[in-house]
Amino acid sequence: MKRQSGMEEEKYLIERVGKENPFRVPEGYFDTLTAQVMARVDASPQPVPSVEKKKAKLVRLRPIHYAVAASVCALFISVAAYVSFNSSSVDSAVQQTVAQQETYDSFDAAADYMMVDNEAIYACLSSDY
Amino acid sequence: MYSDEELSSLLKNPDTQRKAFEYMVGQYNEQLYWMVRRMVLNHDDANDVLQNTFLKAWNGIASFQGNAKVSTWLSRIAINESVDFLRRQKNHGVVSTDDDMSIANTLMADSYFDGDETQALLQEAIAKLPDVQRTVFQLRYYDEMKYSEMSRLLDTSEGSLKASYHIAVKKISEFFKSHD
Repeated sequence: MKRQSGMEEEKYLIERVGKENPFRVPEGYFDTLTAQVMARVDASPQPVPSVEKKKAKLVRLRPIHYAVAASVCALFISVAAYVSFNSSSVDSAVQQTVAQQETYDSFDAAADYMMVDNEAIYACLSSDY
Repeated sequence: MYSDEELSSLLKNPDTQRKAFEYMVGQYNEQLYWMVRRMVLNHDDANDVLQNTFLKAWNGIASFQGNAKVSTWLSRIAINESVDFLRRQKNHGVVSTDDDMSIANTLMADSYFDGDETQALLQEAIAKLPDVQRTVFQLRYYDEMKYSEMSRLLDTSEGSLKASYHIAVKKISEFFKSHD
């Protein structure tokens, strides 16, 4: 049997079934379609301009600020508890000095690691979000 | 009547945006409806998909850069919405394999389908194609869209579109030959 080319198969299909549109729509459908679409458009929020989209990205990043603030607070409370516990021992004065030094070092190291400074932390803690 | 360039610039201006959008809906709704209807087959589904298409276009109007033609931008959204609809339908098992509920029989019982049994069978054969072949076949066979335009619309090479169309035609021809 001879193998049919793509063109011949398309021709066969057109002859066999044609290209007529077998579908129809309810009476007057297209007369009211624009009004129906615009009613839904008007009920939906105004399209967001592209400039405001960038702001939305910043808002989405807020949880990271929360996480940084919470981590810094947790670190601060842990160190304070540690200092308080050690201050009751016999050579508390010496240990407290060491602990304070450690506190300072740990805090600095954490702040450096997270690339935040005091100003950023205060700004974050006093933020409305 | 606005040219495509005029319409693009009116759509980008917040003061004229809504009016231009309304004009655009009136201009393209019928063309897009038939594109969607041939994909989803049923009138109510086509109406839902078309309305969602325009809502998506409205909500994404800021992303319309005006580099593409308005008709290409809208057609792309309409095709994506139609394909998403068909995938959801498949995932929810709406498409029946039961002979009595076959696509051809469902169409023959549809009051908004005027075709005969052969045309219903053609729709069934098209519906059995994978999404890309189905889309390419509809655009080429019914709309007689040029491959260059289709390539811009579907972001696919012309060679690959031609191959998809020929495979689709071959499958549908074989479907009919098996029914003769």
